Amino acid sequence: MMDVLIAGFGVVGQGITEVIRDKQDLFMKRFGERVRIVGAFDRRSMALDPSGLDPTELLSRKLATGQVGKVPVATDIEELLRETAYDMLLEVTPTNIVDGEPGYTHIRTALSAGRHVVTSNKGPLALRFRELTELAARNRVQLRFEASVGGAMPVINLSRDLLMGEEIASIRGILNGTCNFILHRMKVEGYSFDFALREAQELGYAETDPSYDIDGVDSACKLAILANAIFERDVTYSDVVRTGIRGINEEAISLAAEQNKVIRLIGEVSRDKLEVAPRLVPAGHQLSIGGTLNIAQILTDMAGDVTVVGRGAGRMETASALLSDILAIFKDEEARRNATRRAII
Amino acid sequence: MKVNVDLSLMDVPGQLVGALEPISANDGNIIGVVHHHDVVIGDRIVVNLTFEVLTDKSLERILEVWKRNDVVVVKMNAVYESYPLQYLLVGDISSSEIEKLTHGLESMEGLESMDIRITGSMTSGSRAAMVTGRVTRHGSLETIERFFRQHAEDGGYMLIRGLE
Repeated sequence: MMDVLIAGFGVVGQGITEVIRDKQDLFMKRFGERVRIVGAFDRRSMALDPSGLDPTELLSRKLATGQVGKVPVATDIEELLRETAYDMLLEVTPTNIVDGEPGYTHIRTALSAGRHVVTSNKGPLALRFRELTELAARNRVQLRFEASVGGAMPVINLSRDLLMGEEIASIRGILNGTCNFILHRMKVEGYSFDFALREAQELGYAETDPSYDIDGVDSACKLAILANAIFERDVTYSDVVRTGIRGINEEAISLAAEQNKVIRLIGEVSRDKLEVAPRLVPAGHQLSIGGTLNIAQILTDMAGDVTVVGRGAGRMETASALLSDILAIFKDEEARRNATRRAII
Repeated sequence: MKVNVDLSLMDVPGQLVGALEPISANDGNIIGVVHHHDVVIGDRIVVNLTFEVLTDKSLERILEVWKRNDVVVVKMNAVYESYPLQYLLVGDISSSEIEKLTHGLESMEGLESMDIRITGSMTSGSRAAMVTGRVTRHGSLETIERFFRQHAEDGGYMLIRGLE
């Protein structure tokens, strides 16, 4: 049995709860074990039961009352994360790029207590990546974060696992679906930036305060994570050279179109480059995709360009990435147990 | 890529046009043609031709057609790559700024060609200018990028670079 504790019960937390409920057969069939939710908390409430919580009940309560639990959340979360019995923390609280909290404290405490952590939270990773990965290594547990970059687009695990024999020269791509939607609508419909942004907000693609997306902060966070995780650099999001899309006008879109080009917010990372900026992309180029899609082009020494496209955000898309990390931990645990068994024999 | 060749052609009408057609057919751009009427070898005259092609593949196709059509390449030289530059400037870009950019670029080594297209009202703060061109040395691209970055930073407008 793999016992998990869920920190954060917003859209992502509810998505992964649903997936854990619905994928029990997969866990049993592949690993002969179940995943059991032993705790969950949101900003105001918490639910704890060492014998397991009913995922459907958690989801229903959240829907009905806005809270995941019946009791107020513990005043000392660090103690809760240290003292509760669980194997893995699913840290899915919202990203805070100022100081990474509360995600940073959650992750640090769980890793220090010898628990695996799977997270979608960009803040702690974009600010204190090296510290957290070293902490995980010292405590011989895993910190996995596929869901933090590109939602369902598996760029981190693809680069680190399947392409592990390749020398990766660079990764460049579209890492923010909101910006891509706005730029796409400006080109296709001839909308002004403000109008396209309002449309994105009405459709729920952009927040009321859209600066995190349109000023390139979100893309910069993801780029910093890729730089640290794949290029073994030691950077934070503020090291990223960043230009957003706020100033782009109809004239610019139109001049680009005359040259058969589109404007896209492109993130680019290599051993010596770390930049997110609007770029002129030839129409028809892989990086000219429209809508809310994310795309990453991984330039390798043997396989050439490997391109991966996917939906970069959303409840199930993020849950899919979290699930891939949960399964990876399952797999490693299984391998570790088999190795121990062989050693004993 | 700019290519300079000496071609040996039969000295009969229509031969030169036949030699030039494959260049246009493969998206090439003819820059210059010089007849050497005084150099006659057998029944052939020598024509010096300078043209641009976008890719090696285009050049290969042109050479294949010439070979089939009995157009003999006597000498091929001065073949060099040229590299595209493309910048889109967005925001409050004054006419004097455009002038400064033009003069700055023209004085740079390696600039082969340049074109600037501007849209938007002269009085509005919302303009855009597309600068395209080619340079003959790859190293010049970095210098030009630094030049544009510095100008954009000082002028407070947005700089959008080409992808490649």
